[in-house]
Formats: sequence, C-alpha cells, structure tokens
Amino acid sequence: MNDEPEPSTFERRARELLQESVGNLDASTRSRLTQARHAALAARNASPASALSGRNLPRWLDLRVLAPGGAVAAVALVAVLLWSGSAHHPVNDSSGALDDLELLTDSDGYELSQEPDLDFIEWAAAMGETDAVGA
Amino acid sequence: MSNCPTAASATLLAVLAASPQGGAFLSATADPAAQTLNGFLAEVERKAFRMAQMALRHDEDALDAVQDAMLQLARRYANRPAAEWRPLFYRILENRIRDLQRRRTVRGRIMAFMPWSRDAEDTESDPVERAPDPAPGPVAQVEGSQIGVALQQAVGMLPARQREAFLLRNLEGLDVAETARAMGCSEGSVKTHYSRAVQSLREQLGEYMT
Repeated sequence: MNDEPEPSTFERRARELLQESVGNLDASTRSRLTQARHAALAARNASPASALSGRNLPRWLDLRVLAPGGAVAAVALVAVLLWSGSAHHPVNDSSGALDDLELLTDSDGYELSQEPDLDFIEWAAAMGETDAVGA
Repeated sequence: MSNCPTAASATLLAVLAASPQGGAFLSATADPAAQTLNGFLAEVERKAFRMAQMALRHDEDALDAVQDAMLQLARRYANRPAAEWRPLFYRILENRIRDLQRRRTVRGRIMAFMPWSRDAEDTESDPVERAPDPAPGPVAQVEGSQIGVALQQAVGMLPARQREAFLLRNLEGLDVAETARAMGCSEGSVKTHYSRAVQSLREQLGEYMT
C-alpha cells in the first residue's frame, strides 16, 4: 500500500524540469560517462591495484610498478644505514651541552664563590709557579 | 532475417577490442551479471551526474564523483543483489560529493594564505561565494525556459541533506523508504528534509513553476 501523498503541481513541474535537464546533457559529457562506466565494469573483478590503473592514472602511479621499485629502494636504504652505522661513529655532541647544564645547576659553584677554598687556591698558585719555573 | 552483426556494429566491436579498456569491457559484459550492472549504471549515470553537478557546481568534479561512485559500486558491491545497488550507489555518490566539497574548502583555506593567491579571483573555492545569496537569487535569472537552470541553481543552494532528499525523490524517483536507505537515515528524517526543501524552493520559484 502506498501511503505517500500525491505530488503537488510544484513537485510535478520540478520533476519534469529535472528530467529534461538529464535528457539535455551534451554529447561530450555523455561520452565521458560511458567511458567511466566501461572502466568501472572492467574493474569489477580486478584487484585494487589494477582498479587504480583503470582510472587512467599515470603509469608510475600503478602499484604493480611501484611495488618492485619500492622493495629495491627499501633494501638499498637498509644497506646504506648498515654501512654508515659501522663506518661512522658520531661524536656525542650533546655531552658538552649536558656539562654546561650541570655547571649551571651545580650549587658547588655558587658555594665556591661565597666561601673560597683557600687551600685549593694556594695549591693551584703553587702549581702555576712550578710550571713557570719548569718552562 | 540475418543474425550477423551489421558492418557498423562489427566496426564498433573491433575498435573496442583493440583498446585495453574496451577489451576488458567486452570481456566483462560477456557474463549476465556484468550486463545487469552495465544496464543499471547506464540508467543512473546521467541523473547521478546532474545531482553531482548541482551539488558541486563544477563539471569535472561532478564527473570524478560519478566515476568514483561507479568504480566503488562495481568493485565492492557488484555481488550484492541488484535491488540494493540503487541506494548503495547514491550513498557512495553523496559521500564522494562531500569529500570533494571538504577538499575544496580545505584547498580554499590553504590557498588563501598563499601570497600569490591574494590577488587571484578564485571565487570557485571561496566558501563565502558558495553561501546562498538571497538577493537577487535564482528568480532574477528566470526568463522563459531558464526556469530549469534556475531550479538547478536553487537546488544546489539547499543544505546538503535537503538537496539529497529532494533529488533522490524527484530526479531519481525513489520512494521514502528507498531514499532513507540511500541517505542512511530514518524515513521521518527524509520526510522532514524533503518538505523543507520543497518549501524553500517554492518560496524562491513558486510563482514561476506553476
């Protein structure tokens, strides 16, 4: 049983106009829609990779082309990383920055300036004189 | 009466078979299921294009949306019963339309920050431009047979759900239950969206549509 109300005059007129607009599609658009339909039917039983290629994508974007190339690139990258890891031992540049941070946060430095260690200063002066004489 | 193909159809078959896509198409249409799907897509493709065109107001984007919807339906739902295809297809199409609208909005925002786009008149991606303009409105453009164009423009300015309900009912001819399935909502929501759409369009175009 159809309990939907009858369309009004306005709705009937709107339907007519919309149907007319569908019938008036230009030949170029109709042709492209047909091509799109054929591509969809061709991709119906295809894998996602070949379905992608069915969308007229450039060949370099085809997954069947990308997959082997990607594998080779991954192997080359691992080889380069392994080689560079064994041949090059980078200096730990962060150690200097950590030392500076330790000095800044070290309370001993502040205490030294407030209460000088006279024994140390005398020893250091003596060592300096000894070095000067030795030179 | 001969059953042999005419020269024209033989030529067409030869041309189709020569191209990779045409060859795949011919082999795909060799089985009845593919022929059924072909018939369904041929029936809906032009209406779908008009729907997408009204929503996106861009022919190329509309073609992309329809093509993507066809591909998705063929790849993912071709094995479902044919009776389910119509609501599925229009649901896919509407999702694709929204994706394209979102992408266009994002692209517009990004381009707005680019120095070379400051002077450019890229009104196509400007969300302000896309907003409904109550004056002068489609009515001002109505001149005789232009009422069809005015109707399409007015439908394109409707909120997405109202536009969807109106077109599925009046362009595709779905009933309330089918429209609800296609829109993924209740039948009550469909009725609400539809009646608001009709009311809005009647206010804009009523006197020219009787």
